[in-house]
Amino acid sequence: MNTAVCYFVDGMESETSAIARGLRRRDPDLLDRLIEQYQHRLLRYLVYLTSNRELAEDMFQETWIRVLERGHQYDPKYEFSTWLFSIARHLTVDYLRKKKPASLDGLLDEEEGVSLDPPDNRPSALELIAQHEQAEQISAALVGIAAEYREAIVLRFQEGLALDEIAAVTGAPLGTVKSRLYRGLNALLPRLKGAQA
Amino acid sequence: MIRDPHQQARELIALGSHGLKDTEQTWLRTHLNGCASCRDYTQAAEQLVRSLRSISISADLALVQTTKMRIRLHAQQLRQRQERQWLVWMSCILVGLSAAISTPLLWRGFEWLGEWARVSSPVWQVGFMVFWISPAIAASLIFLARGTHLTDTDRTSRR
Repeated sequence: MNTAVCYFVDGMESETSAIARGLRRRDPDLLDRLIEQYQHRLLRYLVYLTSNRELAEDMFQETWIRVLERGHQYDPKYEFSTWLFSIARHLTVDYLRKKKPASLDGLLDEEEGVSLDPPDNRPSALELIAQHEQAEQISAALVGIAAEYREAIVLRFQEGLALDEIAAVTGAPLGTVKSRLYRGLNALLPRLKGAQA
Repeated sequence: MIRDPHQQARELIALGSHGLKDTEQTWLRTHLNGCASCRDYTQAAEQLVRSLRSISISADLALVQTTKMRIRLHAQQLRQRQERQWLVWMSCILVGLSAAISTPLLWRGFEWLGEWARVSSPVWQVGFMVFWISPAIAASLIFLARGTHLTDTDRTSRR
């Protein structure tokens, strides 16, 4: 069993090492492949992070540009997706901070859930994206909870990241990540029950 | 302080089954066997996770193609910038080397010229300084002008 684990870890390391080498060379073919591979996961994360499809698409492009520019900083010890989400998060937080003086972290202090929607009355991107009733309900419930909780829930349950990977992406301690998941779930479940009733 | 076992159980449920240690999983299983409300909570959480995974948000083909195109273009610009930087560094090294070699020779040349023209030492020394520093000043002016031009181009292209 240990051999199997070692084989798996070695396999992952050789793949991440290959990615790191390609990024240092700024290999456009590798970047094309990575964009193809992570397109849906990255966009989904950004849509939930920003609650705005248009902004998420802008951040999607900016994230890949940053990956190209800072590729030499990628450490192959970590999963590429963790690094990618971390870049996307930093860019989004920076953008939102410039736009208005609030960060995702600042929103944690709020008692009520606050979404990052721009102040207009159009239906949110999540509402437009939702294809069926259940998805609509969940999207609406997600938009209604605090951004920090939403992010933790999406990274854990939708993207399947481990707790320490979420901590690396968000830059928060492991205990905070656990607490965000618990609080997020507690905030989300009553909203869904209310919607289903 | 004794913690509320229901809250403890729900905190563990919120981490997802893969985030738990064996001892935590065993404790949670035992608790769930005897607690209907936490079982309901688990079922609701599992249902939520299933529903979350069923939501599909996908990137448009146009977005992906545009991103790829921007990446290739930017990679090319970065490569060109790197080549320019390499050229500047090489020029600096060459200039430094040639200055180190030619300065003593030039000094002697000016000294000889000063003696031949019968001018005082400060005069030919000032002449030497002007001659020695003028290429550097000219090069700095060219670099400055070129730098300003590049910055303006960048700003325009971003707009």
